[in-house]
Amino acid sequence: MTALENTSPAARGRRRWRRLNASMLVGGALVALVVLAALVSFVWTPHDAVHVDAAHRLAPALSDGYLLGTDKFGRDVASQLLVGARTTLFVGIVAVGVAALVGTPLGVLAGMAGGWLSEIVMRANDLLFAFPALLLAIMLGAVFGASTLTAMIAIGVATIPAFARVARGQTLGVMHTEYVLAARAAGRSRLAIALRHVLPNIASILIVQASVSFAIAILAEAALSFLGFGTPPPTPSWGRMLQESQELLFSTPRLAFLPGLAIALAVLGFNLFGDGLRDWLDPKLREHR
Amino acid sequence: MGLYLLVRAAVLVVSTAVASVVVFAVMAVLPGDPAEVALGVNATPEAVAAKRAEFGTDRPLVTQFLDWVSGLPTGDFGVSYVTSDHIGPQIVDRLGVTLWLVLFGMLTALVVAVPLGTAAAVRHRSVGGLLLSGLSQVGVAVPAFLAGILLVFLFAVTLRVLPSGGYTPLGEDPGAWFQQLLLPSLSLGLVQGAVLSRYVRSAVLDVMREDYIRTARAKGLGLYRALWRHGARNAAIPVVTVLGLQLATLLIGAVVVERVFTLPGLGSLLLDGVANRDLLLVQGTVMVLVVAVLAVNFLVDVLYAVLDPRLRGAR
Amino acid sequence: MTRPLARLVAVIATVTLAITAAGCSSGTSGDSATGSSLSVGFVAEPANLDFTSTDGAAIPQALLVNVYEGLVKLDQDGKIVPLLAESWEVSPDRKTYTFHLRDNVTFTNGKTFTADDVVFSINRVKTDWKVSLKSAMDVVANVEKKDDTTAVVTLTKPSNSWLYRMTTRIGAMFSRDGVADLANTPVGTGPYKLESWRRGDAITFSANDSYWGTKPKLQKVVLKYFKDATALNNALLTGGIDVISAVQAPESIQQFSDTSKYEVIEGTTTGEVVLSFNNSKAPLNDPRVRRAIRHAIDHKALLDTAWAGRGQLIGTMVPPTDPWYEDLTGLYPYDPAKARDLLAQAGQTRLNLKLRIPNLPYAVASAQVVKSQLDAVGITVDIEPLEFPARWLDVVFKQADYDMSIINHVEPRDVTAVFGNPDYYLRYDSPRVQELFAKADAGTEEEQVTAMKEAARIISEDAAGDFLFLFPNLIVAKKGIAGLPKNLVSESFDLSVLSPSEA
Repeated sequence: MTALENTSPAARGRRRWRRLNASMLVGGALVALVVLAALVSFVWTPHDAVHVDAAHRLAPALSDGYLLGTDKFGRDVASQLLVGARTTLFVGIVAVGVAALVGTPLGVLAGMAGGWLSEIVMRANDLLFAFPALLLAIMLGAVFGASTLTAMIAIGVATIPAFARVARGQTLGVMHTEYVLAARAAGRSRLAIALRHVLPNIASILIVQASVSFAIAILAEAALSFLGFGTPPPTPSWGRMLQESQELLFSTPRLAFLPGLAIALAVLGFNLFGDGLRDWLDPKLREHR
Repeated sequence: MGLYLLVRAAVLVVSTAVASVVVFAVMAVLPGDPAEVALGVNATPEAVAAKRAEFGTDRPLVTQFLDWVSGLPTGDFGVSYVTSDHIGPQIVDRLGVTLWLVLFGMLTALVVAVPLGTAAAVRHRSVGGLLLSGLSQVGVAVPAFLAGILLVFLFAVTLRVLPSGGYTPLGEDPGAWFQQLLLPSLSLGLVQGAVLSRYVRSAVLDVMREDYIRTARAKGLGLYRALWRHGARNAAIPVVTVLGLQLATLLIGAVVVERVFTLPGLGSLLLDGVANRDLLLVQGTVMVLVVAVLAVNFLVDVLYAVLDPRLRGAR
Repeated sequence: MTRPLARLVAVIATVTLAITAAGCSSGTSGDSATGSSLSVGFVAEPANLDFTSTDGAAIPQALLVNVYEGLVKLDQDGKIVPLLAESWEVSPDRKTYTFHLRDNVTFTNGKTFTADDVVFSINRVKTDWKVSLKSAMDVVANVEKKDDTTAVVTLTKPSNSWLYRMTTRIGAMFSRDGVADLANTPVGTGPYKLESWRRGDAITFSANDSYWGTKPKLQKVVLKYFKDATALNNALLTGGIDVISAVQAPESIQQFSDTSKYEVIEGTTTGEVVLSFNNSKAPLNDPRVRRAIRHAIDHKALLDTAWAGRGQLIGTMVPPTDPWYEDLTGLYPYDPAKARDLLAQAGQTRLNLKLRIPNLPYAVASAQVVKSQLDAVGITVDIEPLEFPARWLDVVFKQADYDMSIINHVEPRDVTAVFGNPDYYLRYDSPRVQELFAKADAGTEEEQVTAMKEAARIISEDAAGDFLFLFPNLIVAKKGIAGLPKNLVSESFDLSVLSPSEA
């Protein structure tokens, strides 16, 4: 892990603004696009995304007011993609939220406490690491029935170790800085130190982790929907759109191509944004990645 | 070193034990009585009771757990409720398919990542290098099953040069075996290759700054040759450890890829087991996958220790 | 590009080409339709090979008629014809059946088939079988051997359905020494015997050299199983299989439009895709609500979107291949206004219904159309896909914890089982219908047809379920394969009549 430099945070911050990099801009733009699509879908979609219309099935793009055409149910593809963005973001936010809310305190605790407590937390973490999202989701899906909720929880729980590790690593670094040492000498409580000094200092790297985890969550949701363990119909989900249009790959490739592209762009966006953010926060690493 | 390994091995054993409890517990709350499922609808209560006794599901959970877990070390996973077959041999049989897939997937990843990552590092300041980096980012963003669907569409359905799926054991027909594994391995490996190439890039970048490379170049060696002669081993250390961690990802990714290509591997066994409510089969399959991941992590830890003795004390 | 890099790319390209070329030269793998072997793609793999203890259509589909044979079987037109019994007589009171058996039949374990095996097999249904279907044998009072080639079965009451059921798996003849390992080692008298079974992949049958009847034209048949509809299609496109036994992605059928290479066979099955209602539970215990739903569904649009227009609208639980079929699609024409009226009468203007479906392609597709169409009349539907078979069987079938479901009732002549038993998961309890079924079973052939027709009409009028469409028999095969059935009338897929293409 990268040790934090001794320069004051404020000074570093001023310099950062001049280093906004391409990864961050491109990634940020893609992420913004997905967020925008999701937000727009709340107030407006060109058509009802789930309305079945036998008379207009498989309409080509740019016909009858269907910008991207319709699928075999006669549903508007553009509307489905917009609402699908909402599903994707929703799954990502809940999954990453669960992971961050559980993983971060565990990591900080392990980093601050050290000793056997740290050891236990990290070993439990390793154990959890052995239950990948897909495996958890299939197990949960088998027990409770596949739903968006089981998928989100499975992905979230499987992502906890990533947050705990990063949080612990960063906390270890922060614990040796002068201001934390000073606070400890002043007799501040551990909780106060964690809240006042540790969390603010590791927040940025956690945001990087969140962005990368978000990308992984999107991929996991798509794979689960493909296997039938994800978002149930008819709620539009990019993964299921892809799965449903597989039989039409031969005649109407657009139906599989568009959701595939949406998934890839969203993942690319979050990955690039995370990478760019990391470089921006820590210029020394820039050459490396 | 010895102590470190001992501790790591103990952790592995304890983790496996805890994992077995977790897996059993999750499966125990699974709705649906296996006896009733096996007998189908309208079964008489007596028949169900008899079947429960036959399966042993009428015993207390703790007894069932101990019975199950004590068989694991010897590869005895119990007898399936659905097929009445021993599960152990089935898992071994399917594991064979999955391991080949994972192995080929890993080779694909290496074949993709090493040249791509090296080139991206060497040319990291040029447009070409930037493009290669971008290419790897795009590769990372493509789900393995999508890659699979596209590869089938291209190579099997359109070009008709490779089969679209299925599996022939190596012993029956090595040619068919290889052809049938090719596309699945590619779909699994290409994406992981893209991930790995980014680590290769940064490892090569590190090595390029080292003095010995500069010296070698000063002696007139070309950059690639210098890297190959003097930098390869040093760059390999981080790459190999990442590759180890990726093994786990490949193992799980195989579940999805097996579905796309109808490969009778561990993943299809797991999904079939879930569909048929073959409790013991699901339990056994999940356990094998989890232990595989734990074992890989253990090996990576050991590798760390062997490659870098300084790490012995830490973590 | 620097030179070393260019060289590297060239190397990779060469290797890739070499590999693909190797793939090309040795041709695509899999059994092709050459000589006397065929491979047929299926969707549902049997969990084991024992239909005496395990439910599900996949086992008899593979084994019945091919490996196991009964005394009688159904021909292509759905008529009962001799198989292991050369002929039979029915007593005037229609309670005693005398079967005259063929004398040249042997099991694949070498034993000769005699009347003792008939007695053994029929009694074994009552004593050892564990599936619910075994109740079809309850009506048998006694079975005895008269001599080696004559068996006499006595029923407790006249029953038309009994002889018919004898054509299904219930009537399969087992060897007295061949039931030790039914799950893995079937022993029958059929034209094929099990050669191997690679779980999760394929079952291989080889011709039974000592078969008593016309020897099959194929030495070997491979039944290949696919979880994924697209993978099944791709297998035929790339030569991995020769026949798709049942297309699961009908939209893709135009991939096979090249008539010089492929042949598409389309006919009927005995599978009625039913939108089943929980008739005993509010709000669907109110016939007005059920009728409203039937009026709210545009069946033509549903079939067109959900199953690419393949299949037939029937409006009843009886397939066209049964003698008492009647087209009842006119009973509930698409009429959303009337549906709203009925809902208003029932005081149910803001309904919320749970649609719990098996996670099978036809059900998932149909459910989305049903939801959208019911939405239009003010009924909110929550779709919940359940893992099939286990979870669906448990939640819907066993516990009847559902409002509506969608399932393809595939068993032949299942209208009596589905609507004649108030404990069945649709919980439909009509004394009049039950009475008619009893009358049909006991009566003459003519009485049977009349009574069944009336019962089926009452069921449809009552809106005990909505009959979405008749599942099509949709087979795609390589050009020139003969013997594929146009209509499926039984629960088996007869492989013995297939013959390979000339190519």
